[in-house]
Amino acid sequence: MRNAVRAEVLKLRTTRMFYGNALAALAFVPISVTFAIQTAGTDGAGAALDTGEGVRNVLSAASSGTLLVLLIGIMMMAGEFRHNTATSTFLASPDRRRVVGAKLIASSIVGVALAFAASALTLAIAVPWLASKDVAVDLLSADVGLVILGAVAATALYALVGVGVGSLIRNQTAAVAGALVWALVVEGIVVGFLPEVGRWLPGGAVAALTSSITPEGGLLPMWGAALLFATYGLAFAAAGTRFVVRRDVA
Amino acid sequence: MTSIQVHGLTKRFGDVVAVDDLSFGVEEGSVTGFLGPNGAGKTTTLRMLLGLVTPTRGSATIGGTPYDQLTDPVRHVGAVLESSNFHPGRRAADHLRVLCVAAGLAVSRVEEVLDQVGLADAGGRRVKGFSLGMRQRLGLAAALLGEPEVLILDEPANGLDPEGVQWLRRFLRSYADAGRTVLVSSHLLAEVAQSADDVVIVARGRLVTQSSLADLADRATPGVWVRTPHAERLRAVLAAHDIGAELQSADALVALGATTEAVGLAAAGAGVAIYEMTARRFDLEEFFLDLTTTTGGSR
Repeated sequence: MRNAVRAEVLKLRTTRMFYGNALAALAFVPISVTFAIQTAGTDGAGAALDTGEGVRNVLSAASSGTLLVLLIGIMMMAGEFRHNTATSTFLASPDRRRVVGAKLIASSIVGVALAFAASALTLAIAVPWLASKDVAVDLLSADVGLVILGAVAATALYALVGVGVGSLIRNQTAAVAGALVWALVVEGIVVGFLPEVGRWLPGGAVAALTSSITPEGGLLPMWGAALLFATYGLAFAAAGTRFVVRRDVA
Repeated sequence: MTSIQVHGLTKRFGDVVAVDDLSFGVEEGSVTGFLGPNGAGKTTTLRMLLGLVTPTRGSATIGGTPYDQLTDPVRHVGAVLESSNFHPGRRAADHLRVLCVAAGLAVSRVEEVLDQVGLADAGGRRVKGFSLGMRQRLGLAAALLGEPEVLILDEPANGLDPEGVQWLRRFLRSYADAGRTVLVSSHLLAEVAQSADDVVIVARGRLVTQSSLADLADRATPGVWVRTPHAERLRAVLAAHDIGAELQSADALVALGATTEAVGLAAAGAGVAIYEMTARRFDLEEFFLDLTTTTGGSR
């Protein structure tokens, strides 16, 4: 299993797609921080900067990597079918459960690493900026800790969802497009306008986990969201594994 | 000793039976050509043999064990399936490194196999810039990583220039001469005729024949096909002239290794009427075509 995970990490490191996505994720951080600080305290954009909620909104840029990790996860599996590398992968490791398992582990390692990188970048930009606005951020406070913990959990679990989606939808383009439309459009609308339904969707759970948006009516508490999203991640991973194991590779 | 054993192998895709109750064996230390026209079920058979496609019925084993139950499969079996098995943006050497890591092989094997297939200078290039022939060589390099005792290749000559085909033939021959086993599929008999010991011929998913190449060549010897109302008598007459003949039906036979002149003179001397007579040329390829199309037509 260790070899299989190392092989998956090496696969990622030897394509440009991976670096492109990782850089794009980090590029979102300053944009997201800037947006949160500039709009804080204005109508509809949430709490003022000198409240705990306001600080959490700014720091939620730490979870900028979620969507891109979803894409990386999708491409790790669907890409194998797109480029026909599934054949050599399964020849080298005929136990497909092990292959998918290795992808799940490798992708969550990437998710955790990316979340830490995004967290560090977020703090490096936001803390001095907030200080200049006379808002002191205590790095050891529960606010900061929870935001970073949420970002790490959300990013790592999104990777599992990605591998699962990429396993279920063999066509990489369709999988990527479908996932983006779902996450950006469908969930955005449902979470915003039907929060009582939206909070049970993956996107609602992630929003609660990363405190990125706080619509009226409320999301699940953070622990509940973590549990719910972990269930989604494992469900997608399990369904994807089952599908890949049974499928003919032609 | 038998190295590859296929028994009653069947694969159905919906209404289409791609492989139909196929059985054959491949001997250790031989090059076996796996032949048949396009769509005969060769690729599906090889993919079932390698655990990539699940058979509807039957079994396929390598050294007595199904591929997906082999411990360290890469050290036992190397396979070259199709030329697009690579991520276009990955460097050739990186592709091989990934496989080494996955199979727990020493990464030093990468340079060795690149050298072995003549790609020593191309390892640092991304695969998207590779010609079809280079991809085939890279695929072969990947198959050789584990120094397997069994090599399975699906249409490896596709995309190779004549020089590359020559090189591949010599390579496979020397691989088998070292006591290892090679199973190589092709839709052209000529491609394997120079290097194969045995042939397994399939058409429409069914076995047409399995024999040594030498036996196959015997069956394709030149001769004369004759239609006569007295086929049995003519055979006796020809035998008296030292000409062997095979009855094909009550009114047709084939005189083996004979000319039309010899058959005509013998028949005239004995007063046997001949309605039709055709010289059959020596052409293994045509014989192969005959074999595969007649089997196809009988279904």
